Amino acid sequence: MMMPFFLSNLRRAARAGLLGLALALCAAPAARAEHAVDPKAAPDVFLGAVANNMLEAVKADPLALKGDVGHITALVRQYALPYVDMDKTTRLAAGRYWRQASAQQQADLVKAFTGTLIRTYSGAFTRVTPATTITLLPFRGDAQGDDAVVRTSVSQPNSSPIGVDYRLEKTDAGWKVYDLNVEGIWLIQNYRNQFAQEIGRSGVDGLIKALNAKSGQ
Amino acid sequence: MTPTAPQTAPVRRNRTTRAVLALAAATLMAGCAQVPHPSPNDPWESYNRSMYTFNDAVDRAVLKPIATGYEKVTPRPVRTCVHNVFSNLGDVWSAINSLLQGRGRDFVDTFGRVLFNTTAGLGGCIDVASMHGARKIPNDFGMTLGVWGFGQGPYFVLPFLGPSTVRDGVGTAVTLTAPVTPTAAVFAIDNVPVRNSILGLYIVDTRANLLEADRLVDQIALDKYSFIRDAYLQRRKAMLDSRTHGERASTEDALEQAPGASGGDSLPVYEDPDAEPTH
Repeated sequence: MMMPFFLSNLRRAARAGLLGLALALCAAPAARAEHAVDPKAAPDVFLGAVANNMLEAVKADPLALKGDVGHITALVRQYALPYVDMDKTTRLAAGRYWRQASAQQQADLVKAFTGTLIRTYSGAFTRVTPATTITLLPFRGDAQGDDAVVRTSVSQPNSSPIGVDYRLEKTDAGWKVYDLNVEGIWLIQNYRNQFAQEIGRSGVDGLIKALNAKSGQ
Repeated sequence: MTPTAPQTAPVRRNRTTRAVLALAAATLMAGCAQVPHPSPNDPWESYNRSMYTFNDAVDRAVLKPIATGYEKVTPRPVRTCVHNVFSNLGDVWSAINSLLQGRGRDFVDTFGRVLFNTTAGLGGCIDVASMHGARKIPNDFGMTLGVWGFGQGPYFVLPFLGPSTVRDGVGTAVTLTAPVTPTAAVFAIDNVPVRNSILGLYIVDTRANLLEADRLVDQIALDKYSFIRDAYLQRRKAMLDSRTHGERASTEDALEQAPGASGGDSLPVYEDPDAEPTH
């Protein structure tokens, strides 16, 4: 819940290799059963395992449970990011500007936007308590199709539930998440105008710089 | 010598008025600047951006510091209680809007929440209804106008109140004059100091509840104005879609819904620049 006062510290710590150590220390006492993640399973089954592993990881980390953004982002990198197709997310957000970018710029843009996505998703886990639960809403749509939406609801006692939906695409390696919706707001949709604005003002490099400047805060 | 003293007050008031007018004029003048990347939903962007800047300045100077202080000095259970009491009053208006939208089930559920929370929840202090699975179903008059078929019109930043559209602005105006909202309940209090204190508390509570979202937006938005606008428009559209496509608004109902039922989700359509030409 607190802003990433620790984020800059964390970054320095990460460079010093302390992050790995910290993670190892947090992970050690957590003898919890993880859900097996199978990207080839039905989209809701796959996503349910990913989301619940993420939630359990936050609950098992005392600092993350206190809202320490540094800890939460580290957990997002570990438990959620492997199942996200950031290339596609960034490509769709950039829209027609994608093809104007060189291969190097595209790679840099993906990297920069990944930071934004991680911070956005981390924001959904800053108020987790031991009583928080994720409920999968009934899957509607065609599980055989290539594009699916899995809807979840994050509930905690004495406050309104938060709707978090995931949009997935079937790839050769199984399902991959490429868009995220928090309370009716899709991530890609919300960045399309901002991307266009920034590129219009200062080009693709300017956009990369602006995104990185945000992560550096 | 003597007449100078009574004169100072009006003079000072005049100066204040002039300063406010000058500020307003400067704001509107700044609004005449050209917009580099116009959005079809936001033809009034130059005005909106000025009003956004004005609201943001007021917020930084007054509301945010007070709300931050409130969050610091008040224990969480007290804040939750205060918030729930206002939220319970707000549920009455939500319920009426569900009724106006022909959503009988939502009306009954929300009205039941009010009865349960007001009694067992000690005047709304504890949201016992949510604990028993009767989740809050937010609703407002802007939504009702949408269900009735009014288009949303351009995006429109209201003074002090922030993001809106023409339709939602009309909805807000009706809400402010409606006799069954938290503001109306507060204004029904005859004792002026008590009334003003509670009104202040309502504003602070509302602002304090946005602090967290505000921190996140600060952290992830490239352009806060665009981010908030697009988020507002998306969220309102999603709310309206869920009502016009017959989808249940409450989570519990969604859980009961049979899998495979026709969904009203209107997903954003993205053109993929790398898509196969066969698509």
